[in-house]
Amino acid sequence: MSEEPLVRWDWIGRNWPTIQGLLADHIVMALVPIVIGLLIALPLGLAGVRWRWLYQPTVGVMNVIYSLPSLAVFIVLIPVTGLATRLTVMVPLTFYAMAVLIPAVVDGLGSVPDHVRQSAVAMGFTPLRRLLQVELPIAVPVVLAGLRVATVASVSLVSVGALVGRGGLGYLFIDGWQRQFYTPIVVGIVLVVVLAGVADLLLILAQRLLTPWSRARGSA
Amino acid sequence: MITFNGVTKRYADGTVAVDNLSLEVPTGEITVFVGPSGCGKTTSLRMINRMIDATEGQILLDGVDVKTIDPPTLRRGIGYVIQQAGLFPHRKIVDNVATVPLLLGWEKKKARDRAMELLERVGLDLKMADRYPFQLSGGQQQRVGVARALAADPPVLLMDEPFSAVDPIVRTSLQEELLRLQAELNKTIVFVTHDIDEAVKLGDRVAVLRVGGHLAQLDDPATLLARPADDFVREFLGRDRGIRRLSFLSAEGVRLRTDLLVPVATEAGAASTSARATGEPWLAVVDAGNRPLGWVAVKDLPESGTLAELEFAPYGTFVSGRDSLRGALDATLLSPSGNAVAVDGEGRAVGVATREALDEALAEVAGGVGGAVRGSGSVSVGGSDGSAEGKGGVGGSAGSVGGSGGPVRGTGSVAGSSGSMGDAGDAGE
Repeated sequence: MSEEPLVRWDWIGRNWPTIQGLLADHIVMALVPIVIGLLIALPLGLAGVRWRWLYQPTVGVMNVIYSLPSLAVFIVLIPVTGLATRLTVMVPLTFYAMAVLIPAVVDGLGSVPDHVRQSAVAMGFTPLRRLLQVELPIAVPVVLAGLRVATVASVSLVSVGALVGRGGLGYLFIDGWQRQFYTPIVVGIVLVVVLAGVADLLLILAQRLLTPWSRARGSA
Repeated sequence: MITFNGVTKRYADGTVAVDNLSLEVPTGEITVFVGPSGCGKTTSLRMINRMIDATEGQILLDGVDVKTIDPPTLRRGIGYVIQQAGLFPHRKIVDNVATVPLLLGWEKKKARDRAMELLERVGLDLKMADRYPFQLSGGQQQRVGVARALAADPPVLLMDEPFSAVDPIVRTSLQEELLRLQAELNKTIVFVTHDIDEAVKLGDRVAVLRVGGHLAQLDDPATLLARPADDFVREFLGRDRGIRRLSFLSAEGVRLRTDLLVPVATEAGAASTSARATGEPWLAVVDAGNRPLGWVAVKDLPESGTLAELEFAPYGTFVSGRDSLRGALDATLLSPSGNAVAVDGEGRAVGVATREALDEALAEVAGGVGGAVRGSGSVSVGGSDGSAEGKGGVGGSAGSVGGSGGPVRGTGSVAGSSGSMGDAGDAGE
């Protein structure tokens, strides 16, 4: 067995269609919760800004959820969402994303300078238009920073779902572990890291394109 | 015209920010609200465009109660410039300026063209148009702020301490820019500041507010400086009120002497003779184009040769018919002769204002102030407010004229020694 190489390329070649399927599954389970989490976090964050008293309880509840071990949550959800379903993995991940994104939205809106908000009011923006055209665009850099954290965490957490039968690339870890065969484990780790890196790079690129005005602010 | 009709702003906790304010802001003029912090000047401003709603009373915009107009609509018709400019960091300069036209539903192209026109108008390089606000200096941002407020050509402009966050040199140039623009545009401007010098410089009329939102005085700057309504206003106007007031009085009436001007080609001997006829110790030498070259002391004139061979003492000039008495007085302090050379718009000497001629003009000014001079005299004599009251009582009308003339004469007499000239200059600032 000592002659066994760390990576057996022929195995990868033979199992490539399976690996591709797992990768696609992984991407869906990692990113859908981010999108849904953002869609929910936006109104909740807005509400937290509008009604300040709402914010602390919301964040408190979110932090408690965030502190729950993911595996425990997956197991608790099995009776509701089913064993080895995407939903069992995606529901907790959506909550984790919200736990990061709600404060990001609130902080992002808080990063709008007061004189900017006031001048928008004074120029005759209606509240909705002010939100859409002034406050949210200015909040984008802070929200995107939160989005990067949430995305990388989500990509990595999907793997844990393998323990309840649906973990995307996480399946390769279980498979390799059970067979004491390292190739799938290495392939899984590399792909998860690459996936997280690519997602992060895309978000950085999005930030560059969406907010050319914010680049020099950090250094200024 | 903007009319405040018994306007009061009371907050839920009982604080009164503005108390029964009634005043009129005339069309086409700059009215400045000035006062210490907590005097309700910004609150008063923001009640005009309903960023704050008045608790009692009415604010009328050309006769229409602003409360009857829906706030966004009202605000789109009123330009607003805020401290720190309030530019949108995520929009290019040109799009910042086009904001209100776009809110009003203009076509994008038309709005941008208008924005470019305004950038030019406020003296910004058009290369700035495609930059973002963070790439501009504070002064440039504030110019953009003014351009943005003017974009939809609103008849009314509200300016809330717009220049207080920039350094003094930039502030001065922005102030001058505003006056230049106003001369072209004739907007109805309400300008809020805590800086009385800015108020006096920019305002056609100045409303001094005291803490608690009471109107202490509303007058044009010259009247305000000459006749402060009460001790609060007097104190707020601060030191050098008499000197500063001279900025608002034309030097036109100052008696000019032409016999003290001598062409540089004159023979020294001839100059001596004519100088003796004038009885003055100094002559102002002018070149062939009548431009001043400097002063010569009559006692230093040589027996022979022309004046061209002599060294001239420094001189100060003021533009006759344009500069203020303050400018003329300043010019006398720049020369050891103690006299100022009056020039025309092209810089040609038209005469000499002697110290005596200026003294006459100043005495007339002080006399014209009447009873109110007592305050001015006492402020310059007694340092503290406590003594000001007492001293004021001592001097009659005649005594107070002397009091006002006193410091002027004092400054004049130190001008001879170069060491104290700097002090005199500072006092004049």
